[in-house]
Amino acid sequence: MAMEPIDEWIKRHEKEPEEVAKEKLNRFLKAVELKVPDRVPIAGAAGDFLCSYTGITWYELSYSLTDKVENAVLKFVHDFPSDWPILLVPMMLEGFALALAFAEFPDFSNIIRFLTGPLHDVLKDKWSKWPGRELRDNMHPQFLGGEFMKPEEYKQLIDNPVEFMNQVILPRVCEGLGKPGSSKWNGAWIRAGIAMQKVIAFQINLFTAIAKAGYPIIPLGTNAYAPADVIGDFLRHPTGAMLDIRRYPDNFKAACEALVDPILKVATAVPPTPPVPLFFIPLHLNEMLPPKLYNEFYWPYLKRIIETLVSKGYKGFVIFEGDHSPHVDTLLELPKGWGIGWFERPKDFIKIWEKLKGHTIVMGGVPTTLLASGTPQQIDEYVKNLLNKIKPEGGFIISPSIGELPAGTPPENVRAYINAALKYGTY
Amino acid sequence: MSMSEELVKAIVELDEGKAVELARKRLEVEDPLNILNDLTKAANIIGEKYEKGEFFIADLVMAGEILKAVSDMAREKLKALGKRREVIGRFVIGTVEGDIHDIGKNIVITMAEAAGFEVIDLGVDVPPQKFVDAIKQYNPDIVGMSGLLTLAIDSMKKTVDAIKEAGLRDKVKIIIGGGRVDKYACEYVGADAWTNSAAEGVKIMLKWIEDKKMR
Repeated sequence: MAMEPIDEWIKRHEKEPEEVAKEKLNRFLKAVELKVPDRVPIAGAAGDFLCSYTGITWYELSYSLTDKVENAVLKFVHDFPSDWPILLVPMMLEGFALALAFAEFPDFSNIIRFLTGPLHDVLKDKWSKWPGRELRDNMHPQFLGGEFMKPEEYKQLIDNPVEFMNQVILPRVCEGLGKPGSSKWNGAWIRAGIAMQKVIAFQINLFTAIAKAGYPIIPLGTNAYAPADVIGDFLRHPTGAMLDIRRYPDNFKAACEALVDPILKVATAVPPTPPVPLFFIPLHLNEMLPPKLYNEFYWPYLKRIIETLVSKGYKGFVIFEGDHSPHVDTLLELPKGWGIGWFERPKDFIKIWEKLKGHTIVMGGVPTTLLASGTPQQIDEYVKNLLNKIKPEGGFIISPSIGELPAGTPPENVRAYINAALKYGTY
Repeated sequence: MSMSEELVKAIVELDEGKAVELARKRLEVEDPLNILNDLTKAANIIGEKYEKGEFFIADLVMAGEILKAVSDMAREKLKALGKRREVIGRFVIGTVEGDIHDIGKNIVITMAEAAGFEVIDLGVDVPPQKFVDAIKQYNPDIVGMSGLLTLAIDSMKKTVDAIKEAGLRDKVKIIIGGGRVDKYACEYVGADAWTNSAAEGVKIMLKWIEDKKMR
């Protein structure tokens, strides 16, 4: 059988990983500067497919800080090479509220931005459910959020968001913490620190091994959040937040305003780090809001956060979940080259590209459902067609629509995606 | 404007206070069935508005709250009068195996009930066999599968396969819904329709019931 481009690329990873890593980094940096690299950078996807392909369970991916998981991840990035594998290992879920609760401590506020299984075991938070704990071993960890603040409490949130998070919300959400200042509370935070040390040590080992296999280290850098999503994800549940916007508009706005500074404090706790000083924000309520509400309750505060961070030398990496098309024009209010926008499911991806090219680094384009359900020929055809339309300019990163592929995704389809991007992606 | 038009308008304009007040006044003198029929009309218009891109999820959430509030009032009155509303169709829904998210499912239930469906809610993390058993037990017109995570797509496929194996596929229409479903997912799963929105989904379901009546 003839060697396909992906096989040649895999061979090169084995033979000259340092060279391959250098090429990837250059390619990525060019794209992020809105310039034309040698080829369109390819982003990877993992999720359920990483587990099903390598035979590890979600429990193992979340809790087991062992060689078994490291080897599985290494096999995965070997067999499905990419320029930018976006890997959450161990699995991580939203936890920005924790960072906010410690916004006054820049030495660690940003480090506890994500929930992991080991941290969940200590905190016993009600925001998330984990395999081997509340869920079966082979179930995906899930963030549910919930209603942990009453509408009458907006005033307290507005007066002092950090204290409110730390002293009121954390004890309510985290059964493992007990009363603030109690011995249970103090002990839990010590245990949380130990759990996080273990996770971090594992990650350093893992990412060093991945780097040796031909991958540049492009860390997610620092983290920020949209104020309205803090309310929706951690305090009022998305449903509650959407109702509050209509029932208590003034309180909702004042709360968003009050959250801007602490969010920026958390984000700037980590200085801009080379090679790309990224700040990461996943958006959640965005697509659910009609433009009128988006422009009044969501965007102004998010915009201030992005603008401030860009002016301090960071670059954005923002996931626009769902269909962001109705709001896409607002992005043009940001300075050119502000960052990467990963668009999950816009009605028409090409339209997003046409609007933003030369201004925003656009990422996405390949529906994960196509990768799960199509044939290799269909995928080849789809990617060819997409790149034909997009390629003349730089500033594009091809990627599955979201970083997770279903378990039943045929491996030959993922290969077809990478192959097609290699074949048709050269400038 | 008639009382009926006024109520439908207040709901569609998402004027919570006005809609509830109008319904309360009318229920003092009118047959609750009239109010429930107005809810069906409103649900239909809301569906159209979503389809046209005029309504977003946040609007459906607000609409759902109003529909539920008015519907609860009307049903209570109906019960007190010893009357029942004729259901237009029976609908079984659940969040598929492996997924425990239910925001979407709950909006669908509110809107489907407002539209006149009898809804059987199987809950979250529902295994394929439970869907099969529910079809046997309730003989629904339509089965809805909900899910937020990408893994839901696999579970939906397994569920449709199980329904096929049980020889029940021809007895029901199947609609899948959630943030990650699209036309590719619909083909892969083997469903009859897909949607990202409760309002659009209920509209599709109403059309299916119409078609069924015509046959």
